Order: sequence, then structure tokens, then C-alpha cells
Amino acid sequence: MKIKKWLSNLPMWLYGCMLLPLLAFGLSKQGVSYFSVLDIPRIWTDEAMKDWELPNSNPAYSAQPVTEEFYYNLPERVIYKTYPVYHPDHEPEGYWDWLHEQEAEIVFDESKLVTEEDWIKAGELLFDYPIDTLGAVINTQHVRNPDFYSSTGMPLTPEGIMPFAQWIVAGKGKVYLGNLSCAMCHTRVMEDGSLLKGAQGNWPGDKAFAFALESDVVSERGVQGITNILFGSAFVEGDPHGKLLESGRQSIIEAYKAVPEGAFGRQGTSILYPPQAPNLIGVKDRKYLDHGGLGQHRSIEDMMRYIAMNQALDFLNFYGDYNSLGLTKERLYDGQPIFFPGTYDRHSDAQLYAIAKYVYALIPPENPNKPSAVSERGKFIFAEQGCVTCHTPPLFTNNKLTPADGFEVPDEHFDKYDIFDISVGTDPGYTLNTRRGTGYYKVPSLLGLWYRGPFLHDASLAKLEDLFDPARLRDDYVPTAFKPHDVKTKAVKGHEFGMELNEGDRKALVAYLLTL
Amino acid sequence: MDIGYLYIVISPCRSSRNHCVRCENLSFRDEKPNLWKEPKFMALLVFLFIPFILSAQSIKPENPIQFKIKNAGITVDGTISDWEVEVDFDPKKLAQSSIRGKANPESIQTGIKLRDKHLHGREYFHIQKFPFISLESKSFQSKGKNTFVGIFELQIRDVKREVEIPFTLSQTGKQQKFKGEFVIDRLDFGIGEKSLVLSDEVRVIIEF
Repeated sequence: MKIKKWLSNLPMWLYGCMLLPLLAFGLSKQGVSYFSVLDIPRIWTDEAMKDWELPNSNPAYSAQPVTEEFYYNLPERVIYKTYPVYHPDHEPEGYWDWLHEQEAEIVFDESKLVTEEDWIKAGELLFDYPIDTLGAVINTQHVRNPDFYSSTGMPLTPEGIMPFAQWIVAGKGKVYLGNLSCAMCHTRVMEDGSLLKGAQGNWPGDKAFAFALESDVVSERGVQGITNILFGSAFVEGDPHGKLLESGRQSIIEAYKAVPEGAFGRQGTSILYPPQAPNLIGVKDRKYLDHGGLGQHRSIEDMMRYIAMNQALDFLNFYGDYNSLGLTKERLYDGQPIFFPGTYDRHSDAQLYAIAKYVYALIPPENPNKPSAVSERGKFIFAEQGCVTCHTPPLFTNNKLTPADGFEVPDEHFDKYDIFDISVGTDPGYTLNTRRGTGYYKVPSLLGLWYRGPFLHDASLAKLEDLFDPARLRDDYVPTAFKPHDVKTKAVKGHEFGMELNEGDRKALVAYLLTL
Repeated sequence: MDIGYLYIVISPCRSSRNHCVRCENLSFRDEKPNLWKEPKFMALLVFLFIPFILSAQSIKPENPIQFKIKNAGITVDGTISDWEVEVDFDPKKLAQSSIRGKANPESIQTGIKLRDKHLHGREYFHIQKFPFISLESKSFQSKGKNTFVGIFELQIRDVKREVEIPFTLSQTGKQQKFKGEFVIDRLDFGIGEKSLVLSDEVRVIIEF
């Protein structure tokens, strides 16, 4: 009784203090974790950047990123509230005027982020946030022109929203079209109009860019200049991009138009060998990033580096003495900002951390394709045909890098990287002829095939069935998705598995693949 | 010098300080008779040896080496077709008997050409560096009529390990037929790496 009485006399604040250890330790075990900003890694260190990326297929031209000092001297991005972009015919009445009356609202404040959930939520906001307002791909005039949508086949939501760009309000009357968010390439408008964030996007970015070049009547020199900045790789044998530039304005624009939805010639890649837009759902489990496995993915820090680099910092890379913006090292480091989209500011480490947390938290939607007797037979065929060797369950990738035809694996790579030392013979152009080329292709995961497409690293096949069609190996084949602008037919070679299956087995295999 | 299968053939000669024509040391120490320089003597020697070589039974078997391995729950059947074996086996003289085999992993076939090519690579057989798999008997034990167990040294890549192989012998006249089966752990020999779907155990069936 004495103890009870003594306890009842204790002040309330003392009871509160008793709960503190629970806050620190106990609650985190109940599914809520707390994160200190002090734990956020500093990702762009000279030491870490030295060997994070794989060397170029021609190692003399491996990327040299900007220094740690340069990187951290860039100002951090301020993240404003953004607003959806509507097709002009679907824009709510008065929306445009209303946007211009809005005040700027800063929406990312890391000091307010406490729980894991807070960070993921902030990460989604940053994932959607465009880093460019200079019109890197498209600008206000384009998206307010109905022809833009019809000429590009732009996917829209049922509300008429074009989800690949956003309006940024940086102050009253300051409404800018924002480009180059993660969401731009990694958002898919599904057949029912719903949005699937993180999926292989279906933004027709190169068609949109072609529209911009044509509608803005950009000169031949201008078209050549920007194309060189995006894809120039003069150090590559035969200089295929140099030849593209020489082919003239209309031919270059046709090359942009040839890139289908689901692929995108992002900087450092190519519209001659456009990479399939990667599916980020499940990326947490993948050991390499980029189709060529350019970035190692050993930790969240690597993911943060990849985001920072790919949101345009790679424009500042040197490849030998080559820089696609035409910079010299003296100019790069002379202290003056470089006004090119994405290169004059940077995400903070906290922002990168939040985006990475969000990307890691992406989960696939429920698969409507349920296992059936047919798909179960396909599962057996999948194993029997040896698909499991590379596309090993449960990730449906062995997380390895396969050399492309024409690339000889250097001995030291066997100890440094995960090499699956055989080429499956797919088109080597991307990985041998671009700034991002490593000589390898990573073995892709087959998870989520049902909501993806087009297929193969160069998005040359529209449907899974096309992969097993022996006709694709012939020179008179018309690729069902990406087909280079300057040919009428082209064999889609490589990955020649399952080609000898009969029709029933092929269907069963595809049925199984669509359940993954 | 690796004298390969001829070891069985010439080993008796070694004890009498003679040398096989394939040996690198062709200068012999016993100069006195100097019969070696006599072509007629050499011809005689060859004729004398022919029956001996035949009795050692160097065979290039018709049946390939078979192996079975589970991959994603399904048994993959594979073969190695290019191989040969040297047999000097007498069920009544097990201590003096020997069986040696050599297989070329380049001839591996699993039904998928690209997979076969991959198996040639450094993750698996690494044929550029290790062009042969070898098997050499160490001892035999009888386990009943026509049933034996042999202790063999198996070398795959640069790993040598002893394996116990139970086998049967069926003999018709001078013709001997052997059949043995054994299981190895591929990881013991550095064949591939631990896998979620590919079994470590490989069942090997040898028949000649």
C-alpha cells in the first residue's frame, strides 16, 4: 500500500520520462522506425565515385564524374508544390488562371521527417518532382497545344491528365512546366487509365521531343547540337552518332520519332539503340542499375548515387577528354555555374535518401493473371528450357551481367563483378556504342511482365509472343516495337530460347510468364 | 611428362628401365647392348608390344558419360560424348587391376546449345584452362559376384577428390562390360556456384 501511495504522488512528467526508452527502442519493434538525419550518408565522395560505375566498354573512355568539392558546392534543390498538367480539352475551367494566382509552397522539409513512412512519402513527392524548368524536353507551349497529344499518341488518365510532366509554381504568376522527374520515364498509364508508378513508363518522350523540335522550327544546327549533347560518343569506333548527325535535320527527327513508348533515349544512351525504360518495382533486389549494369547497386548509397548521376549530372562527365556539352576541365572547374538542365543544382543527400526509400518501397499491383493448368505447364517448360538458369526464381534474374557480342570480359572483372560469361547475342549497339555502354547487359528480372512492354533491352518487341517467333531472326522481319528509322526490316537477333517450341507450349510458357 | 593412358602399358617396362617411345627422355642409360639403335630390334619390340597394348584395352566407348542434375525441380539429362578409358581389370587380381579414364568436357551436351557453351566457361568446366576430366582407380573391392566398389581419384578443373564408385562387370569371353554410377557435389569441384534452383548433386552414369 505504501508503494502504491508513493507512486500516486509522483508527478506526471516523471511518468512521461519513463516512457522515453519505449519511444527509443520499444516502438520501433512494432513496425515504426525512426530515422535521424545524422544517419544520411554522404554519397558523392571522390573515393566512392571512383569505382562505383563499371568502366566503359572501351575503358579509356570510362566516365569521370565531377569532384566531391564541385558536387557539394552546387546549391540544393528547393522543392515546390506541383500541379497536374491537363490536355487542353480536359483542363478544368479557370485552371490556368487559378494556377497563376497560387503562391509558391515549399513542400520538402527534412526536419519534419521522422518515421520511415514519412521518408517514403516525401520520396514519392520527390520522385514526381521535375528537376528542370528550362524546357529540357518540352515546354509550356507544347503541352498547351492539342496537336502535341495527337501527334505523340500521349497516354492520358481518364481525367485528361498527362502525368509525365508537372506545373511548378515558384511564386505568384510564375508557373513553369517541369521536365525530368523520375516519374517522367517511370510512370505507366495502364489500359484502364490508372497510373502505375515505378513501372516501365510509357511516356513517348522521343516523339514528344521530335514534336518540340519541329514545332519550334529548330534549325539543323540546333537539332544536331542537342542530339550530340544527348548521345554524342565521338570516341566510339565508327562514331555512329556522328553519322546520325551528318544525316541531317529530318533524318535525326525521324530517329527520335522511331523510339516507341516504353523506351527512351535518355542522355548518354542513344536513339539508335534506345533503352527500354526500366521497371523500378523490385529494383531494391537488383545488383546492377541501367541496362548495361553501369551502376553497381550494393546499398542504398549506390541507389542515391545513381539518382544523382542520372538526373543529369552525367552531362558533366568527361569520357577521356570528351564532354558532350563541349566543356573543358578548366571551364568546368572555374567556379561559374553551368546553365544546362539538371547541372546547376543538385538534390540534397536527404532528398536522395527519400527518393531511394520510396523506390525501394514500390510494390507491384495485384496480378490479374492467376495460375492455371496452362500456366503450370508453362512453368514446367520454363524450367525444362533452362530459363531458370538466368531468370532464377524468386527474383527471376540471377543478377548477373552477360557480355555482348564483340566484348571480351577482362580477367579482373570476374573478381569484381557478377559475370555470367556468355552472350545471348542480342543487339550489342547500346552497350558498345554509347557513353553508358559497359560491354555487358544485365540479366533482366521477369517479374511484372504482365504490366510491361515493349521487351528486350532495346524495346524491339511489342509482345512476349514475339520473342518466341522464329520469324524475328530473319532479315525481312519488321520489329513490332522499336525499328530504326532508316530501315524497313530488321532481324531481332539473340536470346533464341524457346524458338523450337510448338504453338501450344509457347502459349503455355507465355501464360506462365504473365503470372509472374 | 604426362604419359597419360600409356602409363598402364609401360609401367612394367619402367621397372626394367626401358622407356616408351612417347617419353621425352629418349637417351637411354644402358648403352652397352645398344639394340635400341637397331631398326630390326625396334620392329620386334613393336610386334611384341602389340598384344600387350591390346590386353590393356584402350577403349573409346560408344555410350557417352551420362549425368543427371535437378534444375528447378526438373531432371536435366546431359552427356559427355568424347571420352576414353584404359582398362586392365582382372576380378581375380584386383590389387593389380586399374581403370583410368579421361573425358573432354567440351563435348558436353544438355539439350540447349547456349547452356552447353556456358558450361565450357570459367564458371563451370573452364575448358580453356582445364581441357580434361580424369578418373583414376586407386583400389578395388569385391562386393559379390560381378559387383565391385572402386576408389577413384576424380579430377575436374584443378580439384582432385576421391570418389567411391560401385560398379558391375559382365564378362562374355574376353569382352568386359562395366557399369557404374556415383554422385558428386559439383561445388566440391568448383563447378558453378550455390544456386537456389540448380542442385549441388550430380548423378554420373558410366558405361563401357
